[in-house]
Amino acid sequence: MLLATATVPHLFWITSRAAGIAGLVLASLSVAAGLLLGGRLLSAHRSELRAAHEALSLATLAALVVHGLTLLGDAYLHPSLADLAIPFLSGYETLWTSAGIVAFWMLLVLGLSYYARARIGVQRWRRLHRFAALAWALGLVHSLGEGTDAGETWFLACVAIAAAPAILLLLGRLRDSSAPARIGAVQ
Amino acid sequence: MSPGLSSARRLAQERRTAIRRRTHHIRRWVAALAVALFLCAFAVVYVQMASGHDPALTASSHRNATTTGSAARSEATSTSSEASSSAEEEEFGEEGSSEAGPSAVTTSQS
Repeated sequence: MLLATATVPHLFWITSRAAGIAGLVLASLSVAAGLLLGGRLLSAHRSELRAAHEALSLATLAALVVHGLTLLGDAYLHPSLADLAIPFLSGYETLWTSAGIVAFWMLLVLGLSYYARARIGVQRWRRLHRFAALAWALGLVHSLGEGTDAGETWFLACVAIAAAPAILLLLGRLRDSSAPARIGAVQ
Repeated sequence: MSPGLSSARRLAQERRTAIRRRTHHIRRWVAALAVALFLCAFAVVYVQMASGHDPALTASSHRNATTTGSAARSEATSTSSEASSSAEEEEFGEEGSSEAGPSAVTTSQS
């Protein structure tokens, strides 16, 4: 009972932290699924991967909305909606907070643009969609730089397990895309 | 319509239904995963905070303890200044800090 009473004033904060962690793990899984979708690995399961990638992306966006909106109720930070939506406006850990805000807007625009890809043009949309990995990396930087639990072993282990496959796949993709250029340069 | 064409259509329809079913299953699975992740993270942060091991609260309570200690120290110094000289004040201030320090730390740990 005493324990519950002690945590009640921080419920918004706890919810925001939990949603942020869930968002980071879901985003990492989504990036990994997206990279697998574009690669030759698991090409036989393309429709399942596409469904997983889409569902994971939408779940990430939902978690990030909860992460931001619950902070509005936090009695300690007490941010305004503008502080949470506009980069470089909040006075609290301005750089890390802005990294998170920019990452969120990038993920939102690049994610939801999937539904307008016919209008944008599939090739152009694909080129743009690559920046989603950059947004995810920004989110990772935001969580490690500003996250309350960033120094905790369980958090670091959780992030490492979730992010490692995406990082490896991303490095593989970058290596693959730079290989023809290198060969061309040698020739 | 030839029997071959109708069976091909039926096959395509079945395939589409199977893909739709699998997609629906994946969406439900991801939704469950998202909820489970959130609940798990919530439970970990909650227990961490309730047990007094929250990284932010531990750091801020240490800061508060130091501030409370300094406040007690300055209060003790001002009280003693009515009765003592300025040199004695400093001595008493040091004693005040050593008395106020542990009590503040005890408060933050409880």
